[in-house]
Amino acid sequence: MSYSKVYKAESDLTSKKKISGIQIALYVFLILICLTYILPLLWVLNVSFKTNKEIFTAPFALPEKISFENYSIAWTAGKLGISTLNSFIICIVTLVLSSLIGSMAAFAIARLRWKGAKLAMTYFLTGMMIPVHCVLIPLFTRFSKLGLSNSLLGLILPYLTCSLPITIFIMTGFFKGLPNELIECACMEGANIFQIFFKICLPLSKTGLFVTGLMTFVGNWNELLMAMVFISDDAKKTLPVALSKFVGPHATNYSQMFAAIVIALIPTIVVYCAFSNKIVDGLTAGAVKG
Amino acid sequence: MEKMLRNKKALLVFMLPAFLLFTLVLFIPIIQSVYYSLCDYKGMTKPVFIGFDNYKNLLHDKTFGIALKNSMFFLVFSCVSQLLVGLIYAAILTNIKKGRNLFKNIIYLPCVLSSAALGLLWLFIFGPKLGINQLLMKWGVENPPLWLMSTKGTIPLPMWMIAFVSLWQFVGQSMMLYMAQISGISKSLMEASYIDGCTKPMTFRYITLPLIKPMVATAMSLNAIGSLKFFDLIWNMTTGGPNHKTEVLATHLYQQFKYFKYGYASAIGVVLLILCLLVTLFINKVVKTEQYEM
Repeated sequence: MSYSKVYKAESDLTSKKKISGIQIALYVFLILICLTYILPLLWVLNVSFKTNKEIFTAPFALPEKISFENYSIAWTAGKLGISTLNSFIICIVTLVLSSLIGSMAAFAIARLRWKGAKLAMTYFLTGMMIPVHCVLIPLFTRFSKLGLSNSLLGLILPYLTCSLPITIFIMTGFFKGLPNELIECACMEGANIFQIFFKICLPLSKTGLFVTGLMTFVGNWNELLMAMVFISDDAKKTLPVALSKFVGPHATNYSQMFAAIVIALIPTIVVYCAFSNKIVDGLTAGAVKG
Repeated sequence: MEKMLRNKKALLVFMLPAFLLFTLVLFIPIIQSVYYSLCDYKGMTKPVFIGFDNYKNLLHDKTFGIALKNSMFFLVFSCVSQLLVGLIYAAILTNIKKGRNLFKNIIYLPCVLSSAALGLLWLFIFGPKLGINQLLMKWGVENPPLWLMSTKGTIPLPMWMIAFVSLWQFVGQSMMLYMAQISGISKSLMEASYIDGCTKPMTFRYITLPLIKPMVATAMSLNAIGSLKFFDLIWNMTTGGPNHKTEVLATHLYQQFKYFKYGYASAIGVVLLILCLLVTLFINKVVKTEQYEM
């Protein structure tokens, strides 16, 4: 019997009860923590089905009848419908472009032989430390001269740029991990550099693409500051901006505001629940690689 | 193959788009921003060079003082609290047998949700007549506190509330990083320490903690930069109010921008940029020590 087994057998004999007590305490603690995460969400869901009067007369009871009226008003009056569409367009375009451009640059840094590779990596990585706040004003004045303010393209460009560092960072890790023989082999078969990139390296780094794509999408979907600065036209607003405008402490129609919050939260929650294990593992993989 | 990988044309094609975007949308604007911060620039007129006057004005600006103080508070609070709470969660989660994924997923959930929406949600929970206060009044508390409107103290109550909400939202991120690092520690190390007579807490102190130190540096610099950039939650919970008491650098910058004080706002932006760079350097110098082989 090895030492560890001896130790285990001993500890099982002596402290079985004590350990299970600690385990129970840990579980109680964890459940309490999780309640702080779930209860606020359930509360807002519950309130969003109530009428304004019910919110104050019976705040914690279940709603008398489930009606989606609040939701339809928030959707149309709050202009959440059109802003959801805008958010979708912006995030998808940014996602596709940043994955492509970012992994191209990452491939050049990880695989091509040139002197500036390290320097280029540092250049892109400093982008992670730079707060976007300090480029807002020059970009804003430049974009309004170019006619890019108040257009979706004017938001896609800075989003794309801000997504690049993390994409390049993670993808470089993945490309560096690919075996050299693979590329040699493809080279012998007569593939050119672009075929190697698109047909071999990119498909083999699917996990990396998934992770970076996800981070890009979530980050841009939730972004508020740049969207507030660059877009002032109601028809072009993204979801967080439209929400912040519709919901506020000085407005009085509470139940519709709660419905609006739920509308903003639901898509992300659904996606998260569907892929949660994959998302969490992927993000960890990405983080550890970096 | 060597020749192919050294092909300058291919290099150009691969690097150019990212390089161009990065330079045009990020680096040239930063230089411009530094220039604007030295100018008198108010929207419609052309920027006029005035030297360091904007920075001198910053020193006399009371709101800027509050914003700087709050940002610093926020920075320290989030670094320390995320480190402690994240580590505790990670330690607990690696020590339970069942349901680890479920708990992990629930705690991580708010990290992917929109800060703007969550900010509004908490605004209502801490509202004067809704949420927590309804509960307190039901339990017979006569004058429940005005969570987000009190102005007393150097760090007023609303600032603490915002800090706790941000801890609540983002602690999952740190927890995940630490958990990934902890699960990478080999089992034989743990067993060796048990054989040498360590208890579980001792093993945590002498084996786990030193081995996750590099991750502490990473997670902390992420937290620090995130907390300096912090905008969404504060904007939607208090808009910097009451009476500018919860203003941070980012919200102050946005307010000045809205009043077309471009030069002045740029100066705040430059201060923010310098802070970010300094803090990252500092954390990496102080926390990062030797990497252990695992």
